Amino acid sequence: MKRFAFGAVSALVLSATGVLAADYPAKEIQGIIQWGAGGSTDTVMRSVTPHAEDVLGGTVVMQNMTGGVGAIALNYVATQSTDGYTLLMGAENPLLYKVMGLGKKDYTDFTPINLLARGTPILVASPDAPFDDYAGMMAYIKEHPGEVRFGATGPGGLPSVVTAMIETVEGELDVISVPYDGDGPALTALQGGAIDVMPAVLGAAIEGIRAGNMKPLALFDVAANEKLPEAPAVTTFNETYNDFLPWGPFFGVFVAKGTPDEVVEKLSAAYAEAATNEDFIQLMDNRGFTMMNISGAEAEDFLSTWQQNTTWLLQDAGLTKSSPEEFGIARPGE
Amino acid sequence: MTALMDMLTIFTHPELLLLVGLGTFAGVYVGAIPGLSVTMAVSILISFTFSWDVLPAISLMIGIYMGGVYGGSRTAILLNIPGAPSAIATAMDGYPMAKRGEAGTAIGVTTVMSFFGGFIGIGVLALAAPLVSDFALKFQPRDYMLLAVLGILLVGSLSSGSLVKGIFSGALGIGIGAVGMDPLTFTERFTFDIPLLTQGISFIAVMIGMFGVSEALLQLHHIDLPAVRQKIDRIVPSFSTIKKHLPLSIQTSSIGVIIGALPGTGGDIAALMAYDHAKRVTKNPEREFGDGAIEGLVAPETANNAAVGGAFIPMMTLGIPGDAVTAIMIGALYIHGLNPGPMLMIDQPHMFWFIVGALITANFFMLLFGLTGIKLFTKIVEIPRAFLIPLIMLLSIVGAYAVNNSITDVYWMLGFGVFGYFMRHYGYPLGPVILGVILSRLLDDNWRRAIISEREDLGRFFGGLFSSPLSTVLFVAVVLIFVSQTPLWTKGKEMIFGRSNRSAS
Repeated sequence: MKRFAFGAVSALVLSATGVLAADYPAKEIQGIIQWGAGGSTDTVMRSVTPHAEDVLGGTVVMQNMTGGVGAIALNYVATQSTDGYTLLMGAENPLLYKVMGLGKKDYTDFTPINLLARGTPILVASPDAPFDDYAGMMAYIKEHPGEVRFGATGPGGLPSVVTAMIETVEGELDVISVPYDGDGPALTALQGGAIDVMPAVLGAAIEGIRAGNMKPLALFDVAANEKLPEAPAVTTFNETYNDFLPWGPFFGVFVAKGTPDEVVEKLSAAYAEAATNEDFIQLMDNRGFTMMNISGAEAEDFLSTWQQNTTWLLQDAGLTKSSPEEFGIARPGE
Repeated sequence: MTALMDMLTIFTHPELLLLVGLGTFAGVYVGAIPGLSVTMAVSILISFTFSWDVLPAISLMIGIYMGGVYGGSRTAILLNIPGAPSAIATAMDGYPMAKRGEAGTAIGVTTVMSFFGGFIGIGVLALAAPLVSDFALKFQPRDYMLLAVLGILLVGSLSSGSLVKGIFSGALGIGIGAVGMDPLTFTERFTFDIPLLTQGISFIAVMIGMFGVSEALLQLHHIDLPAVRQKIDRIVPSFSTIKKHLPLSIQTSSIGVIIGALPGTGGDIAALMAYDHAKRVTKNPEREFGDGAIEGLVAPETANNAAVGGAFIPMMTLGIPGDAVTAIMIGALYIHGLNPGPMLMIDQPHMFWFIVGALITANFFMLLFGLTGIKLFTKIVEIPRAFLIPLIMLLSIVGAYAVNNSITDVYWMLGFGVFGYFMRHYGYPLGPVILGVILSRLLDDNWRRAIISEREDLGRFFGGLFSSPLSTVLFVAVVLIFVSQTPLWTKGKEMIFGRSNRSAS
């Protein structure tokens, strides 16, 4: 009897979700932003979502849920019902949770709705640093081991990945790594001379570079960026970087796996159209982000390639807590 | 001349004026409710004002910011629950005044002094922003660390009675602040493998519990006593009172501006440092500090409102936020198509002057809303305890929940409330606990940064202390303040000035 009742209830629930999917959205959608108000993820999500709301004909109420490098938000959304009424608005970090020991779930437990844009890393130096470009910096580090101070934001952050990339390509760097809470505080410290070099995202550094408060050493991309043409691509200094680039943080909207296909389609269509909005493109361009606007299989591929490359890069640099192999993440090219 | 015109933009647009006023009004009440913070209100406004033009959106945010920083003092004075961390110091002398029936006077002084501090902050922003931001950038991790040590030494002035108990409370606060995942390395500290603890303990929950719930529990002892009648004859402080405290308020406002302009510190630390400063320089207060000294209200309230103007300094000149609220405002400027950064003042100077104008307007509105309705507010203290105690509990629970929408925070808050009650019962001061929690991260992170930067070499670290004038000055201040709190100081004084000095002091 109990089993029957259970079956009946689950059948009811199933048919109910079917009904819901047809007239989705029938109620307010909750958007959980992984990072704090005013940060990059927050800015991107709050500027694209109103346009998606117009297409959907519904309301998305956005809320910042910070903590645990975004894991709090991710775990929260993962435990909500898979009816498409709770969206996860996040950045790249969850793909590193497993190897960094920060959580057991990552984007493989989610379906990407849209990967909106990616950022480009750039290596910047304090204006008083005794070198002016990437080659000069490498030479200076060799001559003065243990003196140059690199900014960092903890294992798994963008600076740690870029530094791991440099060490993989150039060999061990004898530098001091000074940890900060985020790239904002670290770039502030750079301008005050507390650190010499900082790997940051282009958008965060661009205004400071324009004002001459920091020097661009190299752009971590395969070609120069039109927003900052005077910064040379790092591949012009060492071609081995082509193996790892382009690489960068990204922003995406996700729903938990198991969300009805119709709902995923509706949401994907809405965000895909929202991402073509001129105001939004303008904003992303101003902040130095490169538009991606991909979804479906293309987005899934992007995520798995990104995870393979980055986790193995960190693994080889000895920065991970557990090997990517343990989670079935294959080494790139295998 | 164009600067003046840009500053006056706000007056030529009635709707902007209205928004600043509305924001300030809302801010005063958001600030007064513990748990509802200005940071939260401004971040909600980001999505709310998304489709607006930039000027109205900024006007509303500035109003809320200015009003909110002031509003925290209301509940601090009336109920001994600071509405915001920056009002903790205000509770220490404001609440004793309310208990004596002088809540009206306390609110009046607070309002006028907040207005005064706000003006000093705005004045510095308008006249010396580039200068101050250059100075603020000079602070190295080492200097932030020294600043935190300087803050820790405030334990002495925050604890009335036993210094040992004060030190215990401060150390407890530092310990509470260290619980959770270390933000620099993601290593778990003091978590004992309990998943709940990896997130750390919400500082606001600790604050609300320690002040609010413990107050409610303490009041239960006097449930039968009649409530204090409030005198409301004099609300606006007399000119002579203001004049008397003018030198002090200029000093504490300057502390506020500098601490506010430093990217790592905000109004809470500014207010506590100013309180300590007041306690040091005030030779003969009419009443003892902690017992309802006017100076104990003047100092934190001028400082935390001066810190508002201060926080805008690095934001407007460099695109670097001075505190959490300005960090969100930078995000708002981005959303509205501006590029906050060092070029903003050069490319769009009108934006700078507009913000200065809006701040001035908000400051006036704050004075207006602050001085009206005081009579009604002071009635809160006259409510019979049978109603007041549940009200405090309700406010505490709602406040603790609102911070992160988390029921866990409510449990933390209640737990710390009971704990705080026993601490007070046994004479352990609560101020140092909160001080410890506030300074824990500042001290810990910057000490690590400083020592890592020196290749973990103590010799190089101390060498560095004397290589920069700023660090040297801070270090000397730390040593002097520390020594002045030990018996060594009094002995030394006697040696130099002779015994006759003893009777004078």
